[in-house]
Amino acid sequence: MATRVEQPHVPAWQRGKVASWLVTVDHKRIGILYIGTAGFFFAISGFLALLIRTQLTNPDNTIITGNSYNEVVTMHGTGMVFFVMVPVLAGLGNFMVPLQIGAADMAFPRLNALSYWFYACAGLVYCTSFLASGGAANTGWTAYPPLSLEAVGNGQDLWILSIHILTLSSALSAINFIVTIHNMRARGMSWMRVPLFVWSVEVYAWLLLLVLPVLSAGLTMLLLERQFPETFHFFRPEGTDQGGSPVLFQHVFWFFGHPEVYIMVLPVFGIISEVLPVFARKPIFGYKAVAFSTVAIGFFSMLVWAHHMFAVGMPTYLNIWFMLASMVIAVPTGMKIFNWLATLWRGNITLETPMLFCLGFLSVFTIGGLSGIYLAAFPVDWQVTDTYFVVAHFHYVLFGGSMLGLLGGLYYWWPKMFGRLLSERLGRWSFFFIFIGFNVTFFPQHLLGLLGMPRRIYTYRHDGLWEAYNITSSVGSYIMGVGFLLFLLAIVKSVNGRRAGNDPWQGDTLEWYTTSPPPPHNFDDVPYVTSARPLYDLRRRLREAESA
Amino acid sequence: MPPIVRPKLLVIVGVLVTPLVTAATALAGNGGFAPVAPESPNAHAIKQSYLFISLFAFAIFLLVEGLLIAFVIRYRRRKRPRDLDGAQIHGAKKLELAWTAGPVLILAVIATFVFVKLPTIQDVPASAATSQNLVVDVIGTQFTWQFRYPNGVVTIDRMRAPEGRTVELHITSPDWDVIHSWWIPALGGKMDAIPGKLNKTWFKATRVGVFQGQCAELCGLYHAKMLAAVEVMPAAEFDSWYEERRAQQEAGTSPLGEELWDGTCAKCHGLEGEGGYGPRIAGTALIKNTQSIEALLRKGGILMPPVGRDWTTDEMNALTDYLKEHVGNQG
Repeated sequence: MATRVEQPHVPAWQRGKVASWLVTVDHKRIGILYIGTAGFFFAISGFLALLIRTQLTNPDNTIITGNSYNEVVTMHGTGMVFFVMVPVLAGLGNFMVPLQIGAADMAFPRLNALSYWFYACAGLVYCTSFLASGGAANTGWTAYPPLSLEAVGNGQDLWILSIHILTLSSALSAINFIVTIHNMRARGMSWMRVPLFVWSVEVYAWLLLLVLPVLSAGLTMLLLERQFPETFHFFRPEGTDQGGSPVLFQHVFWFFGHPEVYIMVLPVFGIISEVLPVFARKPIFGYKAVAFSTVAIGFFSMLVWAHHMFAVGMPTYLNIWFMLASMVIAVPTGMKIFNWLATLWRGNITLETPMLFCLGFLSVFTIGGLSGIYLAAFPVDWQVTDTYFVVAHFHYVLFGGSMLGLLGGLYYWWPKMFGRLLSERLGRWSFFFIFIGFNVTFFPQHLLGLLGMPRRIYTYRHDGLWEAYNITSSVGSYIMGVGFLLFLLAIVKSVNGRRAGNDPWQGDTLEWYTTSPPPPHNFDDVPYVTSARPLYDLRRRLREAESA
Repeated sequence: MPPIVRPKLLVIVGVLVTPLVTAATALAGNGGFAPVAPESPNAHAIKQSYLFISLFAFAIFLLVEGLLIAFVIRYRRRKRPRDLDGAQIHGAKKLELAWTAGPVLILAVIATFVFVKLPTIQDVPASAATSQNLVVDVIGTQFTWQFRYPNGVVTIDRMRAPEGRTVELHITSPDWDVIHSWWIPALGGKMDAIPGKLNKTWFKATRVGVFQGQCAELCGLYHAKMLAAVEVMPAAEFDSWYEERRAQQEAGTSPLGEELWDGTCAKCHGLEGEGGYGPRIAGTALIKNTQSIEALLRKGGILMPPVGRDWTTDEMNALTDYLKEHVGNQG
């Protein structure tokens, strides 16, 4: 039964190749815009990362030193967190959520476009800050005052402005996701039949909505105190009777900042929970456990922020609280890892590129989770915080975790987005380069941190081990760079790649029911959803009908 | 078809290998697999906690990676058709409960161990009649550490401390400065130096030596050069140094001026005053004018921060004397 869908009238000026993208309110096109723009920022931030590693190949290098180095470090972190990971997940969610729940579009298509254009504007401001007097922001992506109050020039102000705009963008898209998921699911899709990626986007959106206003408030305070230091004293302690507290900003920042980590990683958990079952030809092991652990992680992530601040000298009872709360998060995270492993158990595992990336995720994200235990135990944290151990830890979580899973997700859904498969051969090569390069880059950084190397320094001690680990790390980063070039090549070549058909991987969720790429209205008809795997059910009924 | 790798066997192997790996790591100690060799009871207890956590972390690591590799090898497709279903298992409540309860138990054990060690790490040992605690004010400023001793002795970037005696550190940063973080890995964990806030930590060095460390909180331009060292001396030697240094400081013959020059001025103006990030100052008239140089140090210049705003008279005199003698006449 096919329903005829009325095509809305499109004025002539909006039909051009460029114009149609500029005015689009189609969630699929907006999703692609998001992903493409995030790719652009990934190129910038990745280049900055390679600059950092190049400077650190040798303690005496003078490629970027002093404030230039601090700028590069700041803009790399800011770029990767705010302009790559969060938006690219918004993009993937934009494309996939309506398709996975059998909807024709997001709930508010125009708001959706507005979110994207806010993001694009924020990105523009981020880029222009490189041209500001005094250079780009150079106080770290955390922008702790008083350092960020003192920073000369307008780089810091533009940094604040760009993130302000970005928080608007994310808040709007979060509202859109929540309304869409709550109201537009296909018939039969009860909460226990919602694809796990959609579950994770739901929690991602709630987290954004709950913590972003806090960041906006903190940034507003920072901006006011920078611009009107005579009037506002939030963070600068000078003149104790009217002075503020620099630690206050850290509380505000990390109340946002820790959930932000989960904002960047939960949707990737969702990707893993979609890919593993399809490539192991099994249902996810413990659907409810995986779904509820996502909610639990989201909830607890808002109670642990000060474990980033154990060295500021908090009272012991607070240290103990934040230690225990942080450890609690390990439990639902561990549940997920074991549920994923059990999903592989007795499967029929196909090792295609999406699966390779997701298995890579599983192996290294575990390391990132385990190193988190050291950081949660605050006396041990006093030794390792603010060192390369922390740098290694969060790259294992955010690169080994988020980025590898994301690449798996892109490989998995690329055929749905563009109707063409990405090359398997190039995919495999890029996986091996990225996976090996990643470990070579970041594993030695644990050791550097334990040896005593703090983060954010452009030169370091002349010491055999320090130099050996640093050069190893830099070599790894170039290997990773090659891997990403191969990934790019795969994308370029996919223009003439193999055509995908509706369902190249034999997926289980609704997006594979429609054509690749889907028509503007997504579905001609949506089957009644009978389980969390509607397409699996359809295929089974088809087989039964054939054999009958 | 029997599994190639039995999970049970893997667990046993894991349990056997883990203590070995951990023991080897503990012995190796350096190499970066564990915190640097501790030279103070608090650093020692931190390292013990680290190793205790490692025990479980390694075991879990081996378990997860072992299962992952075993499953991928054992259940890979081989010649089966791609769309053949695997076992349609939707979950197992008991198993899932087990891997929820297991981590809770492990974390409880880890937390208990850390809490048992906490007093050793955190609580400052009380002064004994035979060994009074030495209280040193540690003041972090961009990009220098100042150490102020109870008798008025000031040293820059290099702290002297007696062996076997508890040293209490009162760490802060001036109102007008930024946040720094005090850290000597061999002598314990970090403690931030925060403007307007006083933080306390301590160490009790177990052997003589020089222990290196550096600022661990991004504090601006020369964060990377904000190094610190603690020189631990035999107690008697320290006592004589302590008195001698005080006398020298009063007589104006102490190396404080040079320390201030190296730690504060030279980072921007170059070791010889030849200029670097800041302008060349060697041989300029300003350098010889004690009054204007003091005003500049206390109030700051157009680009120059007020590095000497809270210096003691001793410090100011030491530096201005040093400037006159060593920097003013150059060039």
